[in-house]
Amino acid sequence: MSLCVKNLSKSYGEKLVLENLSFEITEPGVYALLGTNGAGKTTSLRMILGMLAKNSGEVLWNNSPLDAVRDNVGYLAEERGLYPKYSLIDQLLYFAKLRNVSKHTAMERIKYWAQRLAVEEYIFPPKMKNGRKAKDVRADQLSKGNQQKIQLMIALISDPQLIILDEPLSGLDPVNTDLFKTIINEEIGKEKYLIMSSHQMPTIEEFCSDITILDRGKAVLQGNLNTIKKSYGRVNLFIKSDMDISSQIATHNLFIAGKTPSEYHLKVQGEDQAMDFLAALIAEKIPVIKFELREPSLHEIFIEKVGNTNDEK
Amino acid sequence: MTKNNLTGWRDVFSFTLKQTLKSKAYIISFMILLLISIASMPILSLITASSQEDADAISPIEKVYVVNKTSLPEMDFSEIMKDPAFQNITFETLTQDYNKVSDRIKTSENTSVILTFAEENGTFGLDFVKAGTGPVTDSSLQKLGSAIDEQFGLFRIKTLGITNDQVSMLNATVSTKVTLTDTSGNPVAKEDTSISNAEYWFIYGILFLIMMVNIFASTQIATSIVTEKSTRVVEYLLISVKSLALMVGKIIAMLTAVIIQIVTILIAVVISSKVTALFSSGQNQSLLSQYLPKNIFQNLNVVNILFCLILIITGMIFYATLAGLAGATVSKLEEINEGLMLFTFTNLIGVYIGLGAASVLMGSGINGYVIFAFLFPLSSPFILPGAILIGKATLLMALGAIALQLVSIFLLFKFVAKIYETLILHTGNTVKLKELILMFKITQGGKQR
Repeated sequence: MSLCVKNLSKSYGEKLVLENLSFEITEPGVYALLGTNGAGKTTSLRMILGMLAKNSGEVLWNNSPLDAVRDNVGYLAEERGLYPKYSLIDQLLYFAKLRNVSKHTAMERIKYWAQRLAVEEYIFPPKMKNGRKAKDVRADQLSKGNQQKIQLMIALISDPQLIILDEPLSGLDPVNTDLFKTIINEEIGKEKYLIMSSHQMPTIEEFCSDITILDRGKAVLQGNLNTIKKSYGRVNLFIKSDMDISSQIATHNLFIAGKTPSEYHLKVQGEDQAMDFLAALIAEKIPVIKFELREPSLHEIFIEKVGNTNDEK
Repeated sequence: MTKNNLTGWRDVFSFTLKQTLKSKAYIISFMILLLISIASMPILSLITASSQEDADAISPIEKVYVVNKTSLPEMDFSEIMKDPAFQNITFETLTQDYNKVSDRIKTSENTSVILTFAEENGTFGLDFVKAGTGPVTDSSLQKLGSAIDEQFGLFRIKTLGITNDQVSMLNATVSTKVTLTDTSGNPVAKEDTSISNAEYWFIYGILFLIMMVNIFASTQIATSIVTEKSTRVVEYLLISVKSLALMVGKIIAMLTAVIIQIVTILIAVVISSKVTALFSSGQNQSLLSQYLPKNIFQNLNVVNILFCLILIITGMIFYATLAGLAGATVSKLEEINEGLMLFTFTNLIGVYIGLGAASVLMGSGINGYVIFAFLFPLSSPFILPGAILIGKATLLMALGAIALQLVSIFLLFKFVAKIYETLILHTGNTVKLKELILMFKITQGGKQR
């Protein structure tokens, strides 16, 4: 199985909102789309899903044009959407029916996910004390987090092979964030193909093997996350000492990228420069509590790629 | 507009219909309308029965004192007394003191009245004096006054020495007739196709009912589409069904819900009318048949009803599609009125053309304008069903109107299909007609997909 996005472009009149976006997912896992607000992430996802007409380009799923209905694609939109006044069970069954899931299968899956996401009491309200059936719960009676869970259920109800998640963790509390992460990991374990857009860089680093960073409709960085990081080299030195080491830093011409009361974040040109600095500190018998040399984080890469272009503009 | 574009409309239809039928607003409005329609016939029966009784009732006035202050001789009241309502009234020339009699009427003789014939500057007046309280009501006095006024008019003519025959001749109706001739001078027969007052009100009633149903259904459709847009549900729907299938399913569901409501209400009115007739003494026919034009029953057959239904349904589909488009042009529920302006304007054009045609039909019968209104897709759903039922429109004309209606629906759907996909995900300001056309041109020009 594979998903291939080729030269996807979109413009509204004269305004180009996406320019020649191309990427490929050949193995199960999560592909990340990153970008600032208005960079074109949601537009890209909508075009991949066929919701928005494209000016040019194509999206192939197993070498044939992707049809979200036929190819069973799950989707969690950035802005949550449920019918506020309709009962949850009616809505879930409706979406299942639209995805060609039989009522019996849909009910089984709804029960499973309701239990898994701890929303059983809303979807299947318990009987009242007098034994009478309780009123169905409507979407507008749920908290934002619980509404998000129902949306995730809708995205997964057809057990899709390709899942598109637009900012899946935004607005969730830490407990539910962990729950969603677990479910995403489970889907990865089931050999599913996921595309995720997010502002939360640690989350992307946690799940994604390949990324595209979009800036104003253009892909400014693409590829395997580890390869990208390696290409930057281990240029971040985090060093902690009981003594003041500012004079040593100045002597070695090291750039201070950040500083906390007890720790320095230094930029080095390579591992050799870092090792020389460590040797000098040891020679001067300065106690070193922490010495960590690492690649730039995704956050730093993102800021470098997008922040600079935004500054220029 | 392919079959693939419409896949899934049935699911949208069944869900929308089920949810609409379950909604509180629908149930409450349905119950209220049902109650009104069930109660309407007994209430109408009571009102008409009481006014009928009032018309037949014997006047409570027993004596009329007549004062003649005109240059005319004393009037003869024998014709008035022939009316059963006034048979117990005695007309007597006032010979006693006016004030004393007037006081007596106010205190003890409250079934008597004083009638003064006055004349001033060439005009006549009938002045009545009655007791402030008592059996003589304003309406009973007014009824007597009308009868005396009519007889007084005839009496004045007779005093001029004009005979009854001459009076009849003076009052005879004058009718005008225009005979058309062909180029050889031979008269061309022209059928009188004008409609009666009752037929006009029948057409008006049907037109008004269709307009109400149309506005109600269309507003519901537009609201439903805006709700799906504003709540972002549409994004989830669009990965399962095409936008056109979404709109078609919704339109048909809403129309079905409204038609269920209307048909039930009409059935309730008919049953209520029949039941009321059964329980009303002296009425052997239902109230509806008393008030409906007689022609309607001659034209009430399966074919005509079928044509009427097709016309109404195709018309409603046209307007509902327009409303669906209007709903997609706005992003927030608060902006729906702004979005519906185009729909309201088009709807009013259709209604006013229909109303104009009904008036022309009453005034001069079928002419070019009426035929235009019968065939024009915006007005035909409003005017033609009524005209068919009173036998003023041929089935050929109905077929023509349906064909034109289908062509307009097809063209509108072609237009909507091109832009709906873009429109449904649009957020921001309301899209104006000019922008819709521009959007269509861009899509048509192949700049998109």
